Amino acid sequence: MSSWFDYTLNGIIIGNIYALLAVGLALIFGVARLINFAHGSVYVVGAYAGFVAVTQFGTPLPLTILIAVAVGALLGLVIERFGLRPLQGYAHIAPLLATIGISFVLDQIMQLTFSPDPRALPSELLQQRFQVGSGTIGALDLLIAAIGLASAGLLYAFLRYTKLGWAVRATAQDRDAAQQMGVNVDAINRTVFAIASGLGALSGLLVGMYYNYIDPAMSFQATLKGVVAQVVGGVGNVPGAIAGSLLLGLVESYGIALFGTSYRNLFAFVLLVAVLVLKPNGLFASRRQTPPEPMTGTFIAPSKPIHIPYRILVALALVAALLPAVLPDPYVLQTLTNAWLYGLAGLSLTLIAGTVGLISLGHAALLAIGGYASALLSINLGVPIGLSILSAGLIAAAIGTLLVFPSFRLRGHYLSIATLAIGEIVSLVILNWESLTRGPIGISGIPPLSIFGIELDTDRSIYWFTLATLVVLAALQFRLLGSHLGRVLRAVRDDDIAARSYGIGLNRYKALAFAVGSFAAGISGGITSHLYSYINHETFNSQLSILALTIVILGGMGNVAGAILGSVLLVGLPEVFRIAAEYRVLIYGLVLLLLIRFRPQGLLGTV
Amino acid sequence: MPALHRRLLLGATAALIGLSAMPAGAQTGPAKGEPIYLGVSGPLTGPNAQYGAQWKQGFDLALDEINGAGGIKGRPLAYIFEDSQSDPRQSVAVAQKFVADKRIVAELGDFSSPASMAASPIYQRAKLVQFGFTNSHPDFTKGGDYMWSNSVSQADEQPLSAAFAVKRLGMKRIAVLHLNTDWGRTSKDIFVKAAKEDGAEIVATEGYMPDEKDFRSTIVRIRDAKPDGLMLISYYSDAALIARQLQQAGVKLPTVAASSVYSPKLLELGGDAVEGIFTASRYFPEDPRPQVRDFITRFKKKYAKEPDAFNAYAYDTMVLMAQVMRESGTDRKAIHDGLLKVKDVPSVIFGKATFDPNTRRVSGAMSVDLVVKNGRFTVYEGGPVVH
Amino acid sequence: MSRLSSASLLEVRGLTRRFGGLTAVAGIDLDLAEGEFVSIIGPNGAGKTTLFNLMTGLDDPDAGTVRFRGDDITRLPPERLAALGIARTFQHGRVFANLSVMDNVLVGAHVRFRTVRPTWPFPFSLLSPLAELALALIRPRSVAAEEKRMREEALKILSRFGERLLPRLDHPAYSLSYANRRRVEIGRALALGPRLLMLDEPTAGMNQTETAEMQGLIGDLKRSGLSILLIEHKLDMVMQLSDRVVVMDEGSVIANGKPNDVRNDPAVIEAYLGHRRSDAAEASPMPQEAVE
Repeated sequence: MSSWFDYTLNGIIIGNIYALLAVGLALIFGVARLINFAHGSVYVVGAYAGFVAVTQFGTPLPLTILIAVAVGALLGLVIERFGLRPLQGYAHIAPLLATIGISFVLDQIMQLTFSPDPRALPSELLQQRFQVGSGTIGALDLLIAAIGLASAGLLYAFLRYTKLGWAVRATAQDRDAAQQMGVNVDAINRTVFAIASGLGALSGLLVGMYYNYIDPAMSFQATLKGVVAQVVGGVGNVPGAIAGSLLLGLVESYGIALFGTSYRNLFAFVLLVAVLVLKPNGLFASRRQTPPEPMTGTFIAPSKPIHIPYRILVALALVAALLPAVLPDPYVLQTLTNAWLYGLAGLSLTLIAGTVGLISLGHAALLAIGGYASALLSINLGVPIGLSILSAGLIAAAIGTLLVFPSFRLRGHYLSIATLAIGEIVSLVILNWESLTRGPIGISGIPPLSIFGIELDTDRSIYWFTLATLVVLAALQFRLLGSHLGRVLRAVRDDDIAARSYGIGLNRYKALAFAVGSFAAGISGGITSHLYSYINHETFNSQLSILALTIVILGGMGNVAGAILGSVLLVGLPEVFRIAAEYRVLIYGLVLLLLIRFRPQGLLGTV
Repeated sequence: MPALHRRLLLGATAALIGLSAMPAGAQTGPAKGEPIYLGVSGPLTGPNAQYGAQWKQGFDLALDEINGAGGIKGRPLAYIFEDSQSDPRQSVAVAQKFVADKRIVAELGDFSSPASMAASPIYQRAKLVQFGFTNSHPDFTKGGDYMWSNSVSQADEQPLSAAFAVKRLGMKRIAVLHLNTDWGRTSKDIFVKAAKEDGAEIVATEGYMPDEKDFRSTIVRIRDAKPDGLMLISYYSDAALIARQLQQAGVKLPTVAASSVYSPKLLELGGDAVEGIFTASRYFPEDPRPQVRDFITRFKKKYAKEPDAFNAYAYDTMVLMAQVMRESGTDRKAIHDGLLKVKDVPSVIFGKATFDPNTRRVSGAMSVDLVVKNGRFTVYEGGPVVH
Repeated sequence: MSRLSSASLLEVRGLTRRFGGLTAVAGIDLDLAEGEFVSIIGPNGAGKTTLFNLMTGLDDPDAGTVRFRGDDITRLPPERLAALGIARTFQHGRVFANLSVMDNVLVGAHVRFRTVRPTWPFPFSLLSPLAELALALIRPRSVAAEEKRMREEALKILSRFGERLLPRLDHPAYSLSYANRRRVEIGRALALGPRLLMLDEPTAGMNQTETAEMQGLIGDLKRSGLSILLIEHKLDMVMQLSDRVVVMDEGSVIANGKPNDVRNDPAVIEAYLGHRRSDAAEASPMPQEAVE
């Protein structure tokens, strides 16, 4: 049974690494009530700060650590001051999205500065190893554990015995009350961001040294694992974050032991969803807390939507339909076809995230389900293409709704994290369910689009088909919003407690909205698979989820016309700005940040 | 956000045709006039941006040579590079752009299989050659008769790796660690089949995700299967991580890695942990072939660094396309037909490249067995290490 | 289950709720007869709102029962209670901020939409959401007529507030004044067609004129025979409207009787004097939570 000892030890070692990340995230959540999606980017910056110090100046380890912590803390201050403080008093979704935008910008800057190529981050003293069981523990493992524990201990002492620490705890418990009692909440926020980011940078440095490997793309995984660990332990709970990290490490390690390496992340995300659904305050929440979420409709920015008359919408649709006759350039048509397909995803998400307030971060999974459904139905069962796409919509609606249903009791950020995890689970199931999906090899030879046996093999016919699908589904969505369901769904979003008190069963209406939204997403995925002829588990990746969310925010939450406008802009502008090449993603991140700052309700406004 | 895969497809350093391969009669001075354009669809931004940059270097080196020697019947050859981020949603738009641009006579790329294969129907409909020179996905060229590739097929490479591991090094119980991507998975399947045919037993196979960094528990699983040798179907970055963690876990196993690890980065990231790892390559710096020596020399002179796999792939491809156009003409149809006809194009990857008209791929890649010794890749001269 | 022969509409027995070491509601008994108007008063923190939450399903009691028209409704979810005809307003006001005035009131009538929300027995009930969706999209004549009828009724309810809300039917609720938001909330509650109306500080944050206006409206509702439970701090209003007053302090009922009896009860005076200071601080409205 010595292997089990090894698996346990390995689980603890990797959990140790997650803990360094999770502690910082927990601190920030505790005070700012914010899941900081930029934490992984700070981690990357810390690693590269150490890399520059070691390779350019040959700094010794203690000095390198100091430099990384200082750079991280400084970056934390900058993020707090310029990224988040201006958003005080905004809808709660704004800072969350801002951290996503900040992570885009930081990662892109790191990539432009240091190239995406991985680098070695050597450490001089730390090659020493001790025999434990049949494996070994390295000096660096111990150092990481020591720093993890020491920082937790210092934090505990700081929170417990210093005046500033008292203030931090008071702020975490009741921000308004603390402010009334004369606590300088801004100063507390600054302090916490500096400490947490310093820790994040330190973990980047140590992990980089541990693997002798750093690259700018490691940020997303770091955020993801840190978020999972701290949610498992209980958001905002520092000891819980450490315990959650160790548990996550152990679950991953035992998962590998029992089922194999390719199931590793599946276990991590299943653990996360299970904890969220069963114990949303975390496994290690010390007492029953009321969920630290807004009690009333503050998640979505209120605004007066710009009303576009029906006649103008019809006229615009006609112009779009006539476009191929006037401008038969296949490149323009293809770009717009892409925009219509994104528009379908945008319609879907604007209903789910905008109208009913379920901010989904895993939306690509629905397109993936639709894409695979239509591809497999047409290839394996010979279902005619039009029917297979329709079925793809229905299957995405059914599977998507069933998967998310247990999470409907979650609110705000919690639901977003659950959807993120469910999205990853879907992608991992697609990867591992080889008998159905052909795993990583993907599905090729997907038959081209056709309806009623007529193959759509020209750019124009494909354009018209996608446009028609979009127009039909958009019209249906307008009709839905104009019915009693429109106001019921928006009532659920604005204030779920008041909605329940007036007889609105939340699960019923959330499920209804999710199913309708998933239908459009499934259709989009289904059409895409036939256009591409080949899909694998990467075709619908989490970048697509973020893009869909950006489309929805850009257009205005719940706004049907906004979703279509948003997709035309977000698909079209990068094509227009092809000249900007390397800086496109950077510009995209900055635009997202500016939009959140200056027009949080989107171009056409929240409906 | 998350990395698309850093698909160091066959990091095998590709070869190139040296100057010596050019017909001497073509040395007619620099090309002039309206250029002939190839379209390139590939990543210049996003997680795979580095590969697009490496392509450019390879293309430019080849173009210096081609255009210095009279270009294509006196006209210069050039390319238009459109950034797709290796994202299928963008590669289809790029495809339409190229298809509509009558100056483009053939297309090179895209980088990843999802991006390339999503664009294939568009190229096929328009009858524009899509030359996916890094697309080893077995179904890529099945997209239609306008899909061609000179990427080394795994069906070629993996039996060589198996023979190296089993016949030459004497491994009998092999554990396989592979990237869980289309490339890694295809390679693993072919390797396992070939190794079994060679008489070895496969005691474990473990697929890992491209962004995985921690392999400690996987290594315990491998160790418990009691293999006498390890096969890594990895990129250099993962291989370095795995090698270091094997060393830390005290697991000492003879290890063969796919040719994709052949990169100076493996040595940098792996340090002494990669000492003794066996691999294969299409060429290596001490390669006696004159065209390889020439390629390395000229590359170093132009870019002040060692060429790597993608530099060489891109170079090889540009030289091949030039040859096709010189022989068969420069319209879209002529290039398609020319690829069918072209024979024995000098190539460092293949020695001499000729397409199989049925698969539209090239077979017979060069291969040399290497071992990391004293921090360098050196030709392996020894025999079995497992007895 | 025995139907009570008396006219008792609501019957609360031994209702208890503890938060950690604090007992917010400690074994409360409370009755309300059909058509009766009962006010619950007491210093801040006495447990009044917690009691409301327990009775309306927003919080679960640790002990005790609640009966409504003879049926045990303890721990029923709020959406079921709404269907039984219990409507409430909230202490800090919870209008649907992005919905128009009209839509807010129509949401109040949700449980009365019968045509568009078919109710089928299990297992067909699993499909009823799909039927609701189909009816909403197809909108047959019966559904359209129902919507029209409800709108007319909503308009009638809103006209109770005179010109306060009628010119603002399409305005989103977040754009309304504080007092108007409270009015919308009451309009929404009336749209439910309640058998029991529970008002939690309906005049908080209103000036004198507005308060008087609201008092007039609540008086009208009482006269129309509606059963009403009111939490209120403005004692004048309580004294004028109530049939009976229940005084709570620290989770318990310390007095229960006619307004005038309660007014002179020494225990009540003691409780109020003892809490005067915190009460004064609390008298100001706390609207922040309700809106942005």
